[in-house]
Amino acid sequence: MNQALRVSDVTFTYPESETPALKDVSFDLPEGTFALITGATGAGKSTLLRAMNGLVPHFTGGEWSGRVLVQGRDTLEHAPRALADVVAYVPQDPSASFVVDVVEDELAYAMENLGSTQAVMRRRVEETLDLLDVEHLRARSVRSLSGGERQRVAIAAALTAGARVLLLDEPTSQLDPQGAEDVLAALQRLVHDHGLTVMIAEHRLERVAGFVDIALGCVSGRVEVGEVRAILEWTGAGPPVHRLGHTLGWSPLPLTVREARRSAAASGIILDDDDRAAFPRAGEVVLSTTHPLTASYGARVALEGIELDLRAGEIVALMGRNGAGKTTLLRCLCGLHAPDLGEVNAPGGEPEPGANVALCPQMPDNVLFKETVAQEVQVTLDARRIETNGPPRARSRRRAEDVLRELGLLDLAAAHPRDLSAGQRLLVAVAAIAATGAPVLLLDEPTRGLDPESKSRLSAMLRAYVREGRVVVFATHDVELVASLAGRVVMLAGGRVIADGRPEDVIGDSAVFAPQTARVFGPRWLTPERVAEAMSS
Amino acid sequence: MNVHPAAWVVWTLCGGLVALATTNPFYLILVFAAAWVVHAAHRHPGPGIRSFGIFASFGLLTIATRTALVFFGPVSRGSVVAAMLEGARLAVMLVVYGTFNSVSDPWRLLRLAPRRFHEPALASVLALSIAPRMIDAGVRVREAQRLRGIHAGRLRNMPALAVPVLSTGMEEAVTLAESMDARGHGRGRRSRYRSDPWNVPSWLTVVAGTIPLAYVAAMVWTGSPLTMPAYPLGWPEVSLGAVAALIALALPALVPPADPIEPA
Repeated sequence: MNQALRVSDVTFTYPESETPALKDVSFDLPEGTFALITGATGAGKSTLLRAMNGLVPHFTGGEWSGRVLVQGRDTLEHAPRALADVVAYVPQDPSASFVVDVVEDELAYAMENLGSTQAVMRRRVEETLDLLDVEHLRARSVRSLSGGERQRVAIAAALTAGARVLLLDEPTSQLDPQGAEDVLAALQRLVHDHGLTVMIAEHRLERVAGFVDIALGCVSGRVEVGEVRAILEWTGAGPPVHRLGHTLGWSPLPLTVREARRSAAASGIILDDDDRAAFPRAGEVVLSTTHPLTASYGARVALEGIELDLRAGEIVALMGRNGAGKTTLLRCLCGLHAPDLGEVNAPGGEPEPGANVALCPQMPDNVLFKETVAQEVQVTLDARRIETNGPPRARSRRRAEDVLRELGLLDLAAAHPRDLSAGQRLLVAVAAIAATGAPVLLLDEPTRGLDPESKSRLSAMLRAYVREGRVVVFATHDVELVASLAGRVVMLAGGRVIADGRPEDVIGDSAVFAPQTARVFGPRWLTPERVAEAMSS
Repeated sequence: MNVHPAAWVVWTLCGGLVALATTNPFYLILVFAAAWVVHAAHRHPGPGIRSFGIFASFGLLTIATRTALVFFGPVSRGSVVAAMLEGARLAVMLVVYGTFNSVSDPWRLLRLAPRRFHEPALASVLALSIAPRMIDAGVRVREAQRLRGIHAGRLRNMPALAVPVLSTGMEEAVTLAESMDARGHGRGRRSRYRSDPWNVPSWLTVVAGTIPLAYVAAMVWTGSPLTMPAYPLGWPEVSLGAVAALIALALPALVPPADPIEPA
């Protein structure tokens, strides 16, 4: 079989860095492989991907040794543009990679560069618009698209040129579960039926584990290639069913819900599913909306008839497909977007951004501006003058340290935020926003690009945050995070609340949103940890 | 109907040169009005949508700065008026450029550049697209900082606005350059997905630019007054011919706007 990628003895060090980002990496990928790149935040996944089409080292500089052959072409001898007909790349944040303004033209852009004929371009553009289900967006400006729509368009734009190797850096991080499933299924079809080779970096293993053939594990620059199960064992992270298998001692460890169900049936475990507990609504109301809340952008109605109350100590997950109105609702709750009808009652009156309501936006880079991570938190504390007693600066410095420690950022306190990986920057932004200590903390997709380890740190920090009678609301597509963290789920569809209650009731038996463990053991069992608890008692 | 991007370039250059040639407030107002009318008729929702307003504010800033400088020297009514009008001249040029940004897509222009001029054309298009990208980034960052209680409007909080805008701007520029290269930009002969036909509206736009420029050039040639008499201060002469020629600059507003790109 032809090798799509041959990588031999690649070691690469970024300029101004001492430790290599890739160490003695060697592997071959045959054509028609769907490969998963997995590893902790900042372990070198993006570097590995970018080395496959020559962006590393052509655009980065740095020290390089070894050889990468893409479809037989050496990346050192060929600039990325000379490889554009064989390999395509979608970066982590696609919005900065869009070149042209209109979606349809963006899809044609790479083909124009390759000099394809108009007839070929028309056909390919139409096919790809359908394949990724973005036909309805064809005339839109790329800048007007939502995060999930941008990701679909970016993948479509990478596909049109007919490259045989696709490199995707967290391509579904902003897609809702169903959308991600569709995109991955489309990619799998290209791999199976057309022999494309796809390399995909992804943290949410529950989404991809069932689709991929092979895995590349990254641990601080070293890369191991092998069977998915073995690599997950090596990197020490796996989808929830993998953890479930661990706790229940199943062998082999399941990778998909289907495998887990088989193991569960074989081991004869049946968990009691009789759970009629009422939804406990304790705590005083911290924030509420009065009169059904309605909001719009121009002629487009984004929210309609929302009635919501948030109570002290609640962690609320806001879910719904792309474009359901999650971000708009968050913007209304913190007073950034004025509703057409109804009003928001925050503690002490109207919502005042940064004072009684704080929001961590989708793009964390918009927040960061200081030289070090520690200053980034400090500047919020100074702005809020949270100091009450004791010498103000010293006290707030201690608070800054506390916030950083909770998120596991203390080691990075002196680092420059821009030198961190995307996931780490996100955590820094959360730390900087949480330092406001606002009674209502809103987060818009706070786990994009986060490895499981950082995710559990973030969860712990948010749990501690609400213990002081505060409220956390987070919009997310990450069902496993909701299962482990949220006490309440508000589901939006078409700008309306369609469900509001305990996660067990709202997502436990959902065909789209149910977490993996619930698919194995029933709606009440949302996480492997809960199952383990029940088994031990 | 799509006006050919090259026609917009001609119109913009003509409008800019006309503004450069005069300090007569009536003429400057006419050029400004023409730019505004054209912007209102043709702006398309894209990255450049806010650029007219932004460049107009830059313009006001220019007038204020130019006028303030006068007060460092001997002040007379004439010198103040002259300085204001010189500032206004620059301001109107900025506004014409802002209109260009809001009605035309620089990337469509890049496609037209002959291969030989590809690199300089690319550099200028990247430069052109920086302003709208920075404006977008500015809005986002301002909001994000407000959410942690930092009001970017205050002077001492300027770094909170400027640093993320500049650094994300730089990062985005690098990502864009990478993305263009990785997608084969500049590797050889390009083809076109959409053809940009040169049509009647394009001719009209070119003519709308050249008429006032030719008229003003003729006035310069014949020595007809185009400036404001400042020493001593007096009323500027206004010729009906010039007024008619300058009104022609607004002609592209009559062209039905391009096929709409759906807004958000």
